[in-house]
Amino acid sequence: MNRATAGRYGGKAAGVIFGAALLLTGFPADRLSAQDVQRGKVVYDKWCMGCHGETGLGDGPAAKFMLPPPRDFTGAKYQIRTTASGELPADADIERVVAEGMPGTAMPEWKSKLSGAEQKDVVAYVKSLSTFFEGAQPPAVVAFGKAPGGGADAIADGGKTFEKLECFKCHGMSGRGNGKSSPTLKDDWDFPIRAANLSQNWNFNGGGAVEDIYRRMRTGLDGTPMPSFSDALDAKVITDEQLWHVAQYVRSLSPEESPPAVREVIRAAPVAQGAALPAGPDDSTWSRAEPSFIPMVGQIIAKPRWFAPSVTGIWVQSMHDGNKLAVRVSWDDGSKSPDPAWDEWMARLVKSVTDADGALTPAQGPDRFWVQFPKRVTDEAERPYFLGGNTRRPVYLWRWASTPDASEEGTGTGLGRFAALSGASEMTHAASFTDGRWHVQFTRALVPADTTASPTFGVGRAIPIAFFAGDGSNGETGARGAVSAWYAIYLDVPTPPTVYVMPLVAVLLTAGLGLVVVWRAQQQNRKS
Amino acid sequence: MSQRSGLPFWPRHAFWQGVALTIVAYVLFDWGIPALRFVGIPSAPVPNSVVVEFMFIALIGIFMYVSENEARWAEFKQPIQSALVNRDKKWLRSSLLVVLPLFVGFMTFESTRPRVTADIQPRSIHPAPPTSITFRNKTIQLAGLENPLRKQGNLEDHMKEGRRVYYQNCLPCHGDLLDGKGHFGLGFSPTPLAFDGGNLPLLTESFVFWRVAKGGPGLPKEGTPWNSAMPVWEDFLTEDEIWSVIIFLYDQAGFKPRAWEAEGKEAAHE
Repeated sequence: MNRATAGRYGGKAAGVIFGAALLLTGFPADRLSAQDVQRGKVVYDKWCMGCHGETGLGDGPAAKFMLPPPRDFTGAKYQIRTTASGELPADADIERVVAEGMPGTAMPEWKSKLSGAEQKDVVAYVKSLSTFFEGAQPPAVVAFGKAPGGGADAIADGGKTFEKLECFKCHGMSGRGNGKSSPTLKDDWDFPIRAANLSQNWNFNGGGAVEDIYRRMRTGLDGTPMPSFSDALDAKVITDEQLWHVAQYVRSLSPEESPPAVREVIRAAPVAQGAALPAGPDDSTWSRAEPSFIPMVGQIIAKPRWFAPSVTGIWVQSMHDGNKLAVRVSWDDGSKSPDPAWDEWMARLVKSVTDADGALTPAQGPDRFWVQFPKRVTDEAERPYFLGGNTRRPVYLWRWASTPDASEEGTGTGLGRFAALSGASEMTHAASFTDGRWHVQFTRALVPADTTASPTFGVGRAIPIAFFAGDGSNGETGARGAVSAWYAIYLDVPTPPTVYVMPLVAVLLTAGLGLVVVWRAQQQNRKS
Repeated sequence: MSQRSGLPFWPRHAFWQGVALTIVAYVLFDWGIPALRFVGIPSAPVPNSVVVEFMFIALIGIFMYVSENEARWAEFKQPIQSALVNRDKKWLRSSLLVVLPLFVGFMTFESTRPRVTADIQPRSIHPAPPTSITFRNKTIQLAGLENPLRKQGNLEDHMKEGRRVYYQNCLPCHGDLLDGKGHFGLGFSPTPLAFDGGNLPLLTESFVFWRVAKGGPGLPKEGTPWNSAMPVWEDFLTEDEIWSVIIFLYDQAGFKPRAWEAEGKEAAHE
């Protein structure tokens, strides 16, 4: 695309000169007054420059500290538009992104900070950073129409069209962003870019509603490998209704509740009387355990920090049978690492992310997952330091790695400071990788053989629990990876009968007392 | 029924007075006291146990009031008596006998049913700073310490450097908007501090320097259960980098740092 190259190289100078000329001469471009631009520059320099750079090249000081990187404005390429593929965005499109932000990226919503006028001004200034808006006519907005009725048939039909349009090539058959070509994807500036994980619609850059998804398919996401399917409509390869059905199908891949609510406590339900704990991560018994969503963020606290984590959230389920605790963690990952197909991704990644805390190499490691508990569960308010504990308050860790598929239990006294417990591990694990999703089940007795070396999982109390995930095909080795804060796991006890007996007793007593009072009053009344 | 004045019967009726006073007392304790803060008087929600205690005392007073003489006491008892015995009050009597026990049963269930909650994590927002800290083997006296960069070099340059430091280090948690909602912020607990609230103007720059340099692990004992994700920035940043990001931070948030008290330069934090 010419706009990308022009934007990256020629556009820099041109944008600055044009912007300056605009300021000096008050040149009135269409709907773009010099005053707006000037006021917009003040807003931009204060709030936007840190990421998008002084001249809008997307090269601000923070640029390499996030992925996806900030937008280069000089090429005038905008992902989220209501205009046809390859067209300039409408002003309202840029205004919407400023006001609402871009989920799944570092771009926040600005409507809570900037006034409506400031938002409009900054959009005028951002446009002035590119020559492509100079004298351009307002672009035509695509007529999107309305969604036809949804339902199971529509979703099933959408699934068929999803295959026909070969969406799975990038997004994967289950839509987890793990298609065959996903490791080769790059944007127009040669940054690595992930195919959207369609099972996490709260991270869709342009919004996760059916209408948003349909619009993205109609207009494409310019600057990214995501094409527009308007041509397929024009060529009558598919009907408009079918495309809507794809949008409904894609929406159905994510949970109804989006984003999933984050709760402090993970419930470990007791298995039914006589039933067994799940035998492995793919055991159908797991479908009966309530999943808890835990958000994961980059480990940016200890050296080396990691600003581009691949795992942004995990699902945790748990059950116990009074003797053993089973915990299943599930998360999406494009590959079973290391995977040579991802070498290309790694090569681009190391060029795109900062190496401020130490060199990045394109070498891949295994996928990793750690579950963390306090070494001793106490009634004290003070928990071990959430990032791996410390010598004063150590943590108890389950550490799993994919290649070779192995796990160990041990004591942690800080991130990366780990000592395996002596003797055979009391914790066992089983892992499965299916179409871009890891399931790992950890199982251990509630009471360990040595209660001084590792914690007892007592029922009926909240036990702190935290997580670490590393994607070996995303440069996540050592301390680089995604972490969570402390949460709690609560081993449910069967509800004691007193919970129901006590209220019943209270009802009977009160009613009896009432009857006695009435009876006595009436007796006395009769006497008098 | 009162024959003593032309007023409608119930405002003077001992029973209804008792009921009304009980309701007024409850509303006052449970809602009135916490609401005082809306008229500028510092207050807080009253714990349930205290409300119960207050109500007990109030009820004693109310009983004394409705039984100050025989006539009033009889008047007070009359509606109760009537509800208990009168033939035409049969429906009222029966429904009370059903509703009251059910209500008591419900309250009992509410208090005995199991609830799952994580332990409450206490936090101290502004722990007292030490008088001096060791920054990369160098002792820095915090008491009375001013930001040295405000008196040397060019403020614009410090601001620019501070912006770089902020965007490369602080942004993921504290956010572009300084609202503590950066793209990684909500993954931590407690969530990162928002700078656009009222905190910054209450703090001296030396306090901020201490919190930045030592981070969550450097919190004093009373702050430790907090489990803050704030890194120990002396591992990453130089003294000048921290001072310049503090200059940037106050400027970006539009606040002035708290000044040390003129005389003696004692610690300004209690």
